[in-house]
Amino acid sequence: MIELRKDQLVFRFPEVHRDAVLRIEFQRTLRIPDDGKNYPLPPGLGRFPVRHVDDFAGRVPPRWVDHGGVMLPMYQSEALWVNFSASYPFAVKVATGKIDAVTGKELRPDLARRPQNYLVTPSQPWLDGYCIEKGVIRQFVAMPLGAGYSAEEQITGEAEWGGLQLTVYPMTAEAYERWRSREARYLTASGMVAGMPMARAALGMDMGLAPGGRMRQEIFADPHHLEDWDQDHTARCFVHLANSLVWRHVTGHEPPTVPPTAKEYAQAGLPWFEYYGAGETAVAGSGILAKLKSVVQMGKEKGDVPVPENETVTPGPIVELRKGLAKDEVREGRF
Amino acid sequence: MAKTFGDYVRKRREARRETDDAFSVRQLAQRIGVEPSFLSKVERDEVPPPSEAKVVALARELGEDPDVLLALAGKVSSDLQQAIRKRPELFASLIRELKHMPDHAVLRIVREVRDGKW
Repeated sequence: MIELRKDQLVFRFPEVHRDAVLRIEFQRTLRIPDDGKNYPLPPGLGRFPVRHVDDFAGRVPPRWVDHGGVMLPMYQSEALWVNFSASYPFAVKVATGKIDAVTGKELRPDLARRPQNYLVTPSQPWLDGYCIEKGVIRQFVAMPLGAGYSAEEQITGEAEWGGLQLTVYPMTAEAYERWRSREARYLTASGMVAGMPMARAALGMDMGLAPGGRMRQEIFADPHHLEDWDQDHTARCFVHLANSLVWRHVTGHEPPTVPPTAKEYAQAGLPWFEYYGAGETAVAGSGILAKLKSVVQMGKEKGDVPVPENETVTPGPIVELRKGLAKDEVREGRF
Repeated sequence: MAKTFGDYVRKRREARRETDDAFSVRQLAQRIGVEPSFLSKVERDEVPPPSEAKVVALARELGEDPDVLLALAGKVSSDLQQAIRKRPELFASLIRELKHMPDHAVLRIVREVRDGKW
């Protein structure tokens, strides 16, 4: 079952194990420059507000109600990252417009190994974009669905789904008991800093995610056996992305302000992040996703200016985050 | 299994202290804003559990669910009290109806995110 609590999706599988609880939230962040350079991880600027689509059934497109799930507001060219918090292992599939963000293939209901079409929590604390190379992703950037930028439109030629789709598979209780006896618990956390207002233009209500700038982030290979995942107990959620400019009309509430630009953030000397796992191996990037045009590349071809600015920046102080801290070592989150 | 509030808090704190010295009575008391001697008495059940705010702070520090700790302390969080006061008959009968149901059945009445066709 999935609950929406304080803008977090809480996936619970009490029928599998009482500890089988996964929290997923969507973090606001700055858009890194789309200039061919590999950037470190940008900060989390707080959670996006998330609402049940059913609560606004008369004001959202009817197909959103058909899809069920939830919605959150994004401005054109705004970026997002997905944060996972769990002490119980889960396999998680993340798709945008029903295109798998790890493999670039159409979303399918089962877990596959070659290539791996899912992430494993808690070792994977977050996902910021499309896996294009081993250790490199292209940031998730919102663009109006139908404008041709989204990964879905570039791969399928159609703007049918948009949004972001999550499918969660808990570990079987037996595998969990074995895993727990050898693994220390690990938790993720994130904080927030205030955003800064800035005017942006946007098109329709329905947004899709498109590949933005390059970022150093590894998608870890699954260290468990495929049969350790309970594929009979899954939960899935369609996360609709509503243009922030219509969020107030739909919900009666103001959307969050536009986040600072990468330049403003870097000039303020605020920290960026690098995450190091504890000996995990990374999966290879997807050839399909690597061939996609980034938002800026596509904009040039179309003669559009899809992002308001795209200056190269020099990231300020870089905070190293490591899994498996030594005793007495203070853990710093991503904020 | 710990039966009292004090016993539960002490066991959880000692478990955390095995790997983290910040969970000494002195340091934990300082973080939640009480005297170490008071926390020590709370752990020995020599005094009643502290206020709701302190119990919630304790839960956060120990990584426990605040509602679970409040229940052990014989308290109900003020937001729940407020909800019950608004519709006392409805909530009283609801809780009586649900009290013998297994967890998975109770969880079914929590509002779920609805899945549709996609």
